[in-house]
Amino acid sequence: MNPALFLHLMSIESRRLLSYRVDFWLTMVVSLIVQVIVVWALWTAVFAESGRDIVGGWDLHGILAYGIFVFLMGRIVRGGDLQMEVATEIYDGSLSRYLIYPCNYGLTKYAQQLGNIFPDILQSFLMALIVLPFMGTSTTVDLNFTGILMSLPSLLCAHLLFYIMGLIPQMVAFWADNVWSLSVMMRMVTMLLGGGALPLSLFPEPLQTLLAWMPFRYLFEFPTLVLLGKVGLEEWITGLAICLAWCVVFLLLTIPVWRRGTLRYTGVGI
Amino acid sequence: MMRYLRLYRQFLSFSFSRSLEYRLDFWFRIVMDCMFYAVEIAFFMVIYRHTELLGDWTFDQTFVFVCGFLLVDAIHMTVFSNNMWWLPIYVNKGDLDYYLVRPVSSLFFLSLRDFAANSFLNLIIASGLLTWALLRYPEPIPASNLLWYLFLLLNGAILHYTMQMFFLIPVFWLHSNRGLTNAFFSTTKLGERPDKIYSKWTRRVLLFVFPLLLMVAIPARVLFEGPSLSMIGMTLGISGLFFLLMVGFWNFALKHYSSASS
Repeated sequence: MNPALFLHLMSIESRRLLSYRVDFWLTMVVSLIVQVIVVWALWTAVFAESGRDIVGGWDLHGILAYGIFVFLMGRIVRGGDLQMEVATEIYDGSLSRYLIYPCNYGLTKYAQQLGNIFPDILQSFLMALIVLPFMGTSTTVDLNFTGILMSLPSLLCAHLLFYIMGLIPQMVAFWADNVWSLSVMMRMVTMLLGGGALPLSLFPEPLQTLLAWMPFRYLFEFPTLVLLGKVGLEEWITGLAICLAWCVVFLLLTIPVWRRGTLRYTGVGI
Repeated sequence: MMRYLRLYRQFLSFSFSRSLEYRLDFWFRIVMDCMFYAVEIAFFMVIYRHTELLGDWTFDQTFVFVCGFLLVDAIHMTVFSNNMWWLPIYVNKGDLDYYLVRPVSSLFFLSLRDFAANSFLNLIIASGLLTWALLRYPEPIPASNLLWYLFLLLNGAILHYTMQMFFLIPVFWLHSNRGLTNAFFSTTKLGERPDKIYSKWTRRVLLFVFPLLLMVAIPARVLFEGPSLSMIGMTLGISGLFFLLMVGFWNFALKHYSSASS
């Protein structure tokens, strides 16, 4: 695809998202306030009632920082409103127009997804600046400029992986009428097993070993740990390489599903 | 009253027939809800690996609390959820007209018309989970505690619906209520945790101003600590007040409804 077209699609999507500014800000502000209250209340209670200073390798302020940053990162990784776009287009027949365009459908959708997350990145950055002064000092995290720079590529790789992982459940729409449940299922499972709800270091050891071999941790936990300075340079490069390798694996799985699906597609819509 | 019951029976019959038209979706939704239950329970299992108590509750108590929440959620998904999804669409497209001219309460019709038959199976599963949680609870539970608990959970499901309506009704003026709907679903997370983990003021807000703790956490306290007039009176009083306010808000909104593309 022509890079100019790719950028143009991104720009259209960013502007579309910002056309509903009240929704855009309301969703973020309320969700962040709730997340701060829940994370603060939960971990304060756990540390107070367990009587421990360190839980799963985290002190109280460290785990609070994790809870807030994994939330901000998670919003970007999931990519906002377009999570069901492919399934909807298959279902209502609007996929037909993309099939006759002289550009790749997957790349078109990815450009739209990227356009959708750039306002989210700026918004999350702003929210982080607001929250940061209220965070206490932690001995288990080291938030610094290098970590912030390293987290950006990790975030983009995580977003790409989430996008590609989400394509197969959405393409089930070639065979079934309504597949939103599959996408919701994927979201719930990835949130828990990817560290979106809790740091994976709190999970039982055998499960941690199993999860290290799976793609989920690269979605939410890995970019957050990079940001919080808990990942060294070598581990970071290895992590990015593994994340991209998982992208290739899921892409290879997606291709035959897409080919079979488009053969079945009638373009009638509802 | 009998007319409304007969009407609801028709809603049920129609919903079951329609849900069987989309069989694959029927099963997807059941699996999705089961996954949701597993994730919610797993979350607390992981937390309790690192502490004996959470907000004064042991794991057994929290397990009952979580299963109570799953039951309230299942009732909401089965009875109200689809209707809540369609309401803003009806308002924006002007389809609400068809419901306003019918000789029954528009709020009753629009809130209960679409019974999610596929979620009904999940309601049975959630009930089974709660029964299991209660059976494995190590302390004896008096029958009066249990009866009040179940009654208050039912009240919690209606309160959940009432609260969601407060976030949906502004669509009469705003056209797009996606932000408010997202905000509602975010805030419900506050009710998914034991009430005693919150600080005094947060707890007061969540009891009296935005009473999410009355849906599941306070009923669970009634189960464990026994029914007290103050807890039951507070729960039913605030729920009733919010319901009446919601009905008033609905009627006020209808007066501002200007039909198609309002």
